[in-house]
Amino acid sequence: MNTAATAAPDLGAAMNASIDQAPILHAVDVTKSFTQDGTPTQALKGVSLSVAPGEFVSIVGRSGSGKSTFLSVLSTLLRPDSGQLTYNGFDLTTASEADIDGLRHRDFAVIFQFHYLLPYLTALENTLLPFMRGLKPVSRAQKERARECLERVGLADKGHRLPGQLSGGEQQRVAIARALVKDAQILFADEPTGSLDSATGSTVMELLSQIHKDGLSVVMVTHNEQYASLSDRVVRMADGLVV
Amino acid sequence: MNILTIALRNSRKKWVRTLLLLLVFTLGVVSIVSLNFVSRVVGEGLEKKLVSFGANILVSPISEKLTVSYGGFALGDMLFDVNYLDERDTIARIDAIALRKNISVIAPKLVVMDRVQGMAVAIVGVRFAQEKQLKSYWDVAQGALPGEEPAPAKKAGGGMHAASTPASAHTPPPTPAPTPAPIPAETSPTGLAQAAMAPLGLPKDTYSGNGVLVGSAAAAKLNLKLGDKVPLGKTHMLVTGILAPTGSEDDNVLLADLTFVQNAVGRTGKANFLEVAALCSGCPIEDIVNQLGAALPNVEIKTLRNIVEQRMYSVHFVKRLILSVSLVILLTGCSMVGISMLSAVNERKKEIGILRSLGFSRRAVFSIFFAEAASIGLLAGVVGYLAGFAVSFRILQVLELSEGATLSFEPLHLLATAVILALLTSLASLVPAWKAAAIEPSEALVTL
Repeated sequence: MNTAATAAPDLGAAMNASIDQAPILHAVDVTKSFTQDGTPTQALKGVSLSVAPGEFVSIVGRSGSGKSTFLSVLSTLLRPDSGQLTYNGFDLTTASEADIDGLRHRDFAVIFQFHYLLPYLTALENTLLPFMRGLKPVSRAQKERARECLERVGLADKGHRLPGQLSGGEQQRVAIARALVKDAQILFADEPTGSLDSATGSTVMELLSQIHKDGLSVVMVTHNEQYASLSDRVVRMADGLVV
Repeated sequence: MNILTIALRNSRKKWVRTLLLLLVFTLGVVSIVSLNFVSRVVGEGLEKKLVSFGANILVSPISEKLTVSYGGFALGDMLFDVNYLDERDTIARIDAIALRKNISVIAPKLVVMDRVQGMAVAIVGVRFAQEKQLKSYWDVAQGALPGEEPAPAKKAGGGMHAASTPASAHTPPPTPAPTPAPIPAETSPTGLAQAAMAPLGLPKDTYSGNGVLVGSAAAAKLNLKLGDKVPLGKTHMLVTGILAPTGSEDDNVLLADLTFVQNAVGRTGKANFLEVAALCSGCPIEDIVNQLGAALPNVEIKTLRNIVEQRMYSVHFVKRLILSVSLVILLTGCSMVGISMLSAVNERKKEIGILRSLGFSRRAVFSIFFAEAASIGLLAGVVGYLAGFAVSFRILQVLELSEGATLSFEPLHLLATAVILALLTSLASLVPAWKAAAIEPSEALVTL
């Protein structure tokens, strides 16, 4: 895999290491700034990145480098101030909120440093959460799919437990099962091992590698070089720029 | 499992908060529902009385009354010199007023107390012909009115019906009273029936025997049956009929012919009071009262309608008062829901962020908070309505307030109460739910 990320603002540069296939996700010259305590802070100063289908990209950098902000923009949790973001050729910067919601529901999956499970739902119900958006009851097939996902993350026998009855690693694995359940196209992981001990972190990383090998595109933010080395490509960021 | 599962599971997890909110709303609903039931039943009872009274006027002698109480101990009312009305003279004066044509019935009464089977009971002397007209709701359950033959079978429906019973077959015919005959009709200056007792065009009351009609409660209390003898002064009366329950004071008394009672207690020609029924359609009740006042100086004239209306006013006043308190309770509940939901929104920011990151729309997030509030309202509506019904049933039972009206369970009202409460709590959650829906996933989850 070629490195397609660059700090250069032009689209050509972003695509210069053009991958064999058309990128599934493509960000060009993305900027994002915030105002903190009345002081404007530019978190992203024009970042570009292309992710090919089935590619595992790690974004590494020190705290405050803008890597998490960039992941949030890529996963549509944040809208960029400027630049362009496309998913399978569809412009996400101008997409309606309903389209974005649909995308998050269908194609994108996000896991965070903290598992963020709903504490009053069981592991199985948390896994089924993406299917509980409306009044339509969860189908038997969806339940079966959720059980398969829990089995895949090694929690087949713990589906009935509440998050409080699971360890940190198990909770993160439930979050991964929840990400897998809807057959997403791309998984965004923001420091997925950040709150775990090294042994549990390794288990989670093995799981992510397996998922990637099954064909899922993965974009992971980490500051652990060892985990980053498991990916196809490492993008380094510093001070809001890809370096 | 669907989006409502999220709302319900969270309510279950925060059960203390849910229970408190439920309690506040249930209390509000219980007070409103029970108040509504009680006031409706009491109101219906009073309306029923009002209708049966027509535009009745009570003509009674002025009596000096003193309420005696000493050291906080109430001794009741003391009457100085119980005054009596001269039946014949009073009727003649009433008969002479300009609005005489508006008067349909004049029913004089003499109330005496006596002991029957060791128990004190009121015996009311009445003119049965007039009384029948005045009290169309009377239904003779057993036997017949004094002076009438028992009907062959009881007809369906209310009204004045006499029912024959096996007991009535053995009832000895009441004997004519060994007392002076009623005032002869020819002595009446107006030619009214029963010696000027009945107004124009009414059947003459010629009965003056010793038959007695017993109220339902009195019959049960005194264990009186058809044909039983009831002492009165030095003579006795014979039970000829037993009234079906009326929901009025008639249930507790014995009703006998006025002339018989007058003679038995040595008050010939006297009455305690007269009930005057005016024709009600557009009846100028105040004018009638004024004319009666002019014709009968030193006599107290009260319209029963006013008395009932005063009672209705009291009922409505209490209803409005409790309704206001209940509304305050509900408003407090709504504020509690609002505040509680607002704090829940802040507490659950990350949860909202997760849902949004999973593709839940703003509308879906809004629905979760809305459904949580609505479920509390719905449950409070159902529980509150059922509890309110039970409470009002008990209140009416204990306080004996029903006045003949009955309490009926309305499933549609239950549904309406639950829906209204659900709407109310949903409205209270509008701002928090909107605030929750406005949360951006990045705002809740992203560490910048």
